[in-house]
Amino acid sequence: MPWYVHLALKQLFPAGRRFPFFTAISVLGVALGVALLIVVTSVMGGFGYEIRRMIVETEGEVQIKARGLIGDSASLLREVARVPGVQAATPYASGVVMVMANGRPAYPAMRGLDLATVAGVVELSTYIRLGTLDDLDDDSVLVSSELARSLGVTIGDTLEVYSPLIIERLRSDEVFLPREVRVVGLVEIGHQQLDSSMVYGTLRLVQDLYGLGSAVHGINVRARPGVGEDQLARRLNASGLPVGMQAFSWMDSFEEFLWVLNLEKGMIFFLLLFIVIVAAFSVMSSLLISVVRKTREIGLLGALGASPRGVAACYCAQGLLIGVFGTGVGLALGFAALAVRNDAVMLIARLTQREDELRRFYQFSNLPAHTVPGDVLTVVILTLVISFLAGLVPAWRAARLRPVEAFRSE
Amino acid sequence: MSERSNAVLQARGLSKSYASGDRRLAVLRGVDLLLHAGESVSIRGESGAGKSTLLHLLAGLDSPDEGELFWNGARIDARRCTAVRNRFLGLIFQSFHLVPELTAEDNVLLPRRIGGRVDAAARRRAVGLLARVGLDERAAHLPSQLSGGERQRVAVARALMNQPSLLLADEPTGNLDERTGESVITLLLELVAETQTALILVTHNPAHAARTSRQMTLSEGILHHG
Repeated sequence: MPWYVHLALKQLFPAGRRFPFFTAISVLGVALGVALLIVVTSVMGGFGYEIRRMIVETEGEVQIKARGLIGDSASLLREVARVPGVQAATPYASGVVMVMANGRPAYPAMRGLDLATVAGVVELSTYIRLGTLDDLDDDSVLVSSELARSLGVTIGDTLEVYSPLIIERLRSDEVFLPREVRVVGLVEIGHQQLDSSMVYGTLRLVQDLYGLGSAVHGINVRARPGVGEDQLARRLNASGLPVGMQAFSWMDSFEEFLWVLNLEKGMIFFLLLFIVIVAAFSVMSSLLISVVRKTREIGLLGALGASPRGVAACYCAQGLLIGVFGTGVGLALGFAALAVRNDAVMLIARLTQREDELRRFYQFSNLPAHTVPGDVLTVVILTLVISFLAGLVPAWRAARLRPVEAFRSE
Repeated sequence: MSERSNAVLQARGLSKSYASGDRRLAVLRGVDLLLHAGESVSIRGESGAGKSTLLHLLAGLDSPDEGELFWNGARIDARRCTAVRNRFLGLIFQSFHLVPELTAEDNVLLPRRIGGRVDAAARRRAVGLLARVGLDERAAHLPSQLSGGERQRVAVARALMNQPSLLLADEPTGNLDERTGESVITLLLELVAETQTALILVTHNPAHAARTSRQMTLSEGILHHG
């Protein structure tokens, strides 16, 4: 080990019983900054990750949409199935409806599922909390849990479904009665907005409600494992889809939303990085004090044959070592905080009696977190670079100190 | 020429002055000194006579205004002699100057660490030197756990770690009581005799000075021999 690293370690963690107070404070400052960065980037990443999971699991990675309706969905499904990377595809129809139950109205989105093919694309059955997908037929629906609660319905109850077609028919003096459907299941995805505003029926039911005939609004496509959504969308578009149709990956469909999410994450990361920078100034200040306090020792090192570069390296190493230990402790603190985040948030919510508000405003039933290795690597590298830079000014001061001047200061 | 090439140290016409207001204060005026292996020289002088300045020049820590310095026959430029000093010179200070965070053994090893790698042989030498100065039991102690005399003995061991050709001791007993100072001087003189290391001892104590092979006095910037 080079002498300057050995001495830097000894100065930061002196042998004997002395508590390295300066080192502990400096390491803690860096650690808190790192922990906060890890927690915030993971939680921000968690929001994006959860949204992706929900979209992909309920709609597939890729959607094929037309300018209007897709008339011959069966032949399109056959063509799509032949494209490499496609695991499964299912047609869908969707639109906003009004539902009434117990005299209470609601305006959810309704999605029509093709029961023959939907299981290969949409993992809806994993989100059914009560009832089963097998009970779904053309006269029944699955209702999202929060919506069922607000309407006061449960399995076996009846809903009246009004579609925009009713208004259209009224214009030509036709009376189109609302459709009565049974509730055969409750769905809970974990996202407040989806759980309070979705109704799932058969494709035939939605086609009837919207007067689509055999047409559909689009095709949801599931990619084979290892095939990226953008890659699959490109392949589908290159495969010669009928004129007016285009495949969109879920990221294309939510591009603006994802951009805003990433911008938020980037801005928060940038702002929180200042905590590490402030900690680095504190490290710099402590090391500068150390240079003044250890003037004679620095002089001694020069007298014993240490080059100014070696003396500088000793202080740079101290800054870097504080960064290394601070990063290590910060990562441990950050991951520990992430592990208990839901308990902590729920405890605060319970103490402040704001559990419902938390659920309503934050959309998710749990505080999501998703740690991206690239984010962790960025935090680690930036922290180490900043810590190293914090040692440069003290290092420069120490390197400029001539032994003879140091001894004269006695 | 042959005298210089056999000499451990030769100083020729060293002069040094410092700015004092508008004037320059001459501290050393043409100091000449020649020292051979195993020779010990004491330098006495009043406070402010320039003893420390002379030692700094001889140690290559400062540059003279005029004059030349040779170590083992090689001309020394104070701005470029750092690495050479590590091997050529051992320094002992009045205030010991041990690194407080290092144990006695690590303090002794410090010049070797700065000069290169510390291997098993270096560790054995450090332990041996500590045993020679009577501190083998205290190798793992920090300076704060040692008495003044023990610290100075650690400093003596450190000065000898790289088997230097020359030891410069700047009032090594200045912070010690008479008895401890006596034992340190005895130890120092024994060690330089054993290792044939040249010694320059700056001291105020006439008894200590008398124990060296040559005595000199620094007065008004001039080094008086004999």
